[in-house]
Amino acid sequence: MKKNQISRRTMLQGLGASMAIPFLEAMVPVGIDPSRYYEKNSPKRMAIFYFPNGVREDKWTPKGWGTNFELSPTLKPLEAFKKDLIILSELKNNLVDVRGTDGHYTKTAPFLSCFNITKTTGANINVNGVSMDQLAAQHVGQQTLFPSLEYAIDPVKGGVDSNVGYTRLYGSSISWSSPNQPCPREIDPVHAFNRLFRRFVPGKSQGTENPFKKSVLDIVMQDAKRLNKHLGAADQNKMSEYLESVRSVEKRLVSDDKLKDFEANITPDIKKELLRLNVRVEDYAELNGGVDITTKVRLMMDINALALWSDATRVSSFMFGNSVSNRNFTFLDGVTGNHHTISHHRDNANLLDMYGRINYWHTEQFAYFLNRLSQMKEGEKTLLEQSMVLYGSSLRDGNRHRPTNLPIVVAGQAGGSLKTGQNLNFPKETPLANLYVAMLQAFDVPVERFGDSERVLTEVLA
Amino acid sequence: MRRFALLILLGLGLQSLVAADYPPDQRHYWRVVQPIMRKHCNEACHNADDKKGGLNLEKYDFIRRIQADGELFTDLMQQIEDGSMPPQGRPRLTPMEKDTLFTYIKRYLNDALSKPDPGLIPPRRLSRREYQYAVEDLTGYSFPARAFFPKDPSGGEGFDNYAKTLYITPLLMERYLEAAEMIIQETACAVEEWEKIVPNSSKKVLRPFALWGKQLWGGEVAKTQARIAAAERVLYPFATRAYRRILLPAEEEQLINFFEEVYAQLPKDKHRFDNGIAEALKVVLVSPNFLIRQEGDRPTELPYLVNDFEMASRLSFFLWSSIPDDELLEAAYRQELQDSSLLKVQVQRMLKSPKVKRMAESFAAQWLDIDKLSDPSHSVDGDKFPTYTPDLEAFMKEEAVQYFYHTLTESQNLLELLNGNYTFLNRPLAEHYGIEGVEGLALRKVMLGSEKRGGILGMGSVLTASSLPTRTSPVLRGKWVLEKVLGTPAKAPPPDVPELEAAKNTHEEMTLRELLEVHREDPAGLGGHQEMDDLGFALENYDAIGRWRESYKPQLAQIDASGTLKTGESFDGPAQLKEVLKGKKHLFAKNLSQKFLGFALGRSINFKDYKTVQSLADTLLEENFNSTQFLESVVMSYPFRYKISDPVVVEDDF
Repeated sequence: MKKNQISRRTMLQGLGASMAIPFLEAMVPVGIDPSRYYEKNSPKRMAIFYFPNGVREDKWTPKGWGTNFELSPTLKPLEAFKKDLIILSELKNNLVDVRGTDGHYTKTAPFLSCFNITKTTGANINVNGVSMDQLAAQHVGQQTLFPSLEYAIDPVKGGVDSNVGYTRLYGSSISWSSPNQPCPREIDPVHAFNRLFRRFVPGKSQGTENPFKKSVLDIVMQDAKRLNKHLGAADQNKMSEYLESVRSVEKRLVSDDKLKDFEANITPDIKKELLRLNVRVEDYAELNGGVDITTKVRLMMDINALALWSDATRVSSFMFGNSVSNRNFTFLDGVTGNHHTISHHRDNANLLDMYGRINYWHTEQFAYFLNRLSQMKEGEKTLLEQSMVLYGSSLRDGNRHRPTNLPIVVAGQAGGSLKTGQNLNFPKETPLANLYVAMLQAFDVPVERFGDSERVLTEVLA
Repeated sequence: MRRFALLILLGLGLQSLVAADYPPDQRHYWRVVQPIMRKHCNEACHNADDKKGGLNLEKYDFIRRIQADGELFTDLMQQIEDGSMPPQGRPRLTPMEKDTLFTYIKRYLNDALSKPDPGLIPPRRLSRREYQYAVEDLTGYSFPARAFFPKDPSGGEGFDNYAKTLYITPLLMERYLEAAEMIIQETACAVEEWEKIVPNSSKKVLRPFALWGKQLWGGEVAKTQARIAAAERVLYPFATRAYRRILLPAEEEQLINFFEEVYAQLPKDKHRFDNGIAEALKVVLVSPNFLIRQEGDRPTELPYLVNDFEMASRLSFFLWSSIPDDELLEAAYRQELQDSSLLKVQVQRMLKSPKVKRMAESFAAQWLDIDKLSDPSHSVDGDKFPTYTPDLEAFMKEEAVQYFYHTLTESQNLLELLNGNYTFLNRPLAEHYGIEGVEGLALRKVMLGSEKRGGILGMGSVLTASSLPTRTSPVLRGKWVLEKVLGTPAKAPPPDVPELEAAKNTHEEMTLRELLEVHREDPAGLGGHQEMDDLGFALENYDAIGRWRESYKPQLAQIDASGTLKTGESFDGPAQLKEVLKGKKHLFAKNLSQKFLGFALGRSINFKDYKTVQSLADTLLEENFNSTQFLESVVMSYPFRYKISDPVVVEDDF
């Protein structure tokens, strides 16, 4: 919040060697037994990456099925991770394919929940199911500081789309903790970093914990309970949102056990990474967000990866953009326009070329994330081996808006539960939900069905 | 064939009943009204088989079905009225048919509306804008809430004060705790502000007459009593303002107990009084009593007037986007706000406060969709438009806010939103517009010599927000005019047809001839979006960042800014467009009424509000768009003053 903060990098430049001392100190594992973390049953992680506006079809699907395949031009940046990928063709989010509704919102909101959403400008928000990441979070979330974390680049889109009669909130939400409530997304690297790691940055944590915080929470909880008595049922909804939020914060911020558990996770390796990231976050703050989008995306991805590595959470989701995102991509060579407009390429060669380049940029960022995970060690394994990372969009071709043959990639072995290194083709209109059931099972969530699933997509399981 | 199906259906459903057993109005519907619909709507398009536009009008055999779908029929009548239905190429309704249809459908709908229903307003948390202003009014500290909290989603009429989308989440709760710390800390550092809240502050250097200090020789009990009395004098007024009502005894007790608890735990702190107060104030800022606006329910199914304190909150959050001031709370305490004339006195007083600018900012930015400019995914292309700086963007927004504020409070003429002979400029913005002789950075009212500016359609903010990052989009601008000005949004394109904005996207690179072809081409799949395109083309003299241009740059291709509305009016260029739109002021009035009512109530405006919206629109038209009379009417309207209990029964023990 405060301006004129000196970034750590600036300080390093100015103070030279003197900065080395706290840095080195920070490297020493104070009171932490590094082996402790690895002795714990190394947990599985799930990360979701959503990108808007679909893909250029002819450059997406790899050649050759099964284990012997060649990455497509759009997926080329993933070459180093070819053996860690499952690419899936002909999956469809069936129930959201309702004719006569809108092209984007109705597909984005249920990308992970697989039911048709209720048309509303806000009064009846309902995706009619919990999203699969949130189902996973409900299953494993109690063991970590945060049940799940949601990230994005752009703020929620304001207003309602009166042409089609939907609140734009639908287009800004893929993670739904209940059918009626989307998870808010952190879009600012400074807030996102501070929320998890600020207390571990030397010089930032002294005396900041307010000893009265717990009392404050207790009192406002009583206020809420008192109010609750006088409210109607619909009104109680709001108050129970309030109560749940207070309880959740209390558990996390005030419970010493949780904090100590988390602190114990911060191994020297993680701490090293954390300090490095802090420098970049402070630079970002200093530049007041005036960085290019690639830098910001990568910063958010680094925080996301570190959140998973430090076991702050085991489930995260990330949105490259909101539905209908019209981000200006002229920073890419050969692109002269913006995302959504270009995605309506009308088979124009020039626009198709730009569309492909924008798709390619997204894959590059995804590759960056996978690379980070592959560098993060957990005992003998890498974080990528412990994770399942979904990368996809809720449309196939942006010009046609159909939720058929969705562009979907799953990366990582999820602790040996997924069989990677495959390019899989399925019968047309195979429910996307089949994959989600398989992923949830691989994540040790005991489900047999999800959304419109017909079977478990066992082909992806090891 | 279909008609037979209907008869069979009726036959089966009615069994032995015959039409004669039905009330006369129902029989009249079958005999006179329904055939008109069948002829013009059902037969070719809106039947069970074709369902054009997702709409089947065949199923409306009974008046009560029409009444149940009142919104749809209101919409249909509007479309018939403005000529968009039946579509071009289909026979028009004869005046006689139109009259019959309108008279009776309206009658059915009015019957349905005869039972007054103010609608449910669920509890809602403060939006981050409201939070910021409320904190400012409480503490004097301008907390940067918009940088600190996630953006609030919107719903209903498109505003972020919409009850149902203002979720409370763990993330937000964490931030509220942090924010409370920061706010109290900052306030305590600003000595003057702090002393306004804590007049008996222990931080005063000289405090021989500090109220509780006088009791120093009175023994422990007296000291404690004096301290508590001093704390009460700080905490109760603060919490009363924050909670916007009289405190409950339990709430008072709780705050004082907490103050004492903190005080006791800080024996060595020489500012323990202030620090005890500070902690208690943090409680207030995190309490649901502050963060959530909620009104008490009464055990009745009938609508009733909201109580005085609730009315005070409705007023202040509507007109100021913040909590009531002391005078309003006093008026509520004197029970004046249930009295129409005294209520008007308050409204008039409030409209004179500069806090109205907050409403202007919030309402205008969201209604005109210029909030979008701060969305990073909607950035103007820096290479193509190097003169477009963050400062310029801020000035553009400020122009819109000041203009809107001016029409609300100075000129008091909301029709000037469509056209005015002035606007608000500073030097950079004037240069951007090509207007000479404006100096300095402060925006001020400037009289205009030409019709290129003046009114929302000539504003850089609006013109930029309705463009793409690299170029203009007539389709987006046309859509904007239909939606924001006339309140008649275009219908969504059929599925699998490229979205509106994309249908034409390279006009700036085209020659004049190509451009004309594209412009005049009837986009088969888009079904009657010609009007929208024309509206957008009328604004083509403004480039993607709102600068005036006479031709497209690369080829010097001429701009064709002419067009025709479905209802027949022609125009060429923005000045004429504005005149045409002023001719449609009944639509503008209705749209403005609906938006304001939605903003004031924080809920969706639906069919049951039809009468309220219509009467607000009538007020505007009758009173020449006088803003004060209009805002008074919004406040005096039935849904603003009344509420209805949530019908579900509550369990008493928690």
